[in-house]
Amino acid sequence: MVKLIGAILVIVSGTLFGFYQAAQFANRPKQIRAFILALQRLETEILYGFTPLADALAKIGQQLTDPLRSIFSEAARRLTDQRSSVTAQESWQLAVEEQWKHTAMKQSEKNIIYQFGFTLGTSDRNDQIKHIRLAINQLQHEETAAQHEQGRYEKMCRSLGLLAGALIVILIY
Amino acid sequence: MNIDVGAIFQIAGIGIIIAMIHTVLKQMGKEDMAHWVTVIGFVVVLFMVVRLLNDLFQEIKTIFLFQ
Repeated sequence: MVKLIGAILVIVSGTLFGFYQAAQFANRPKQIRAFILALQRLETEILYGFTPLADALAKIGQQLTDPLRSIFSEAARRLTDQRSSVTAQESWQLAVEEQWKHTAMKQSEKNIIYQFGFTLGTSDRNDQIKHIRLAINQLQHEETAAQHEQGRYEKMCRSLGLLAGALIVILIY
Repeated sequence: MNIDVGAIFQIAGIGIIIAMIHTVLKQMGKEDMAHWVTVIGFVVVLFMVVRLLNDLFQEIKTIFLFQ
């Protein structure tokens, strides 16, 4: 009886792990798309709104959903923090470092966004816009690649989780 | 007979599951990984068979050699 319960637990956890991996593959393009939209909004804020960077980041963060929201809000919070004197680059990169593990995105997107941080808040508006456009372009490439990967690996992860659970149960039964 | 039929079913089950994993991986274009899974499954089954054969030889020894 205990053996049976253990077997069911192993199979269920294997299946859930597979579904979690599949969800990561499904969430990655969505989050990249949301990040592109957020950067476009930042472009608008800089070009037409003349909003200070901290206010712009906080405003954009409020409009987003959770894993991306915390990146923008964290960057805005660090930038407005009176006690520590960090630059826009440092606050952006620290926020990305800290919140990245909650997102489904991978290293290549992280590099793009990290690189984008180097130019944040250092030059005039036209140059900022150029760098935002560059980052958006690169992220769009990543998005199509992520969509391809989703189509290939999402179903595989689901069935593979269940099969791995069943294999472990048979091996140690 | 102290070896029950369970071992045979276990080996059969491993074979079926490994075949399914191989098919899934091959369909998604990860042929190298599929072959590794097959090889690992084969080694695991081989270990189980070796253990059973060891039991068989011990049995034969005790029958014919009268230690």
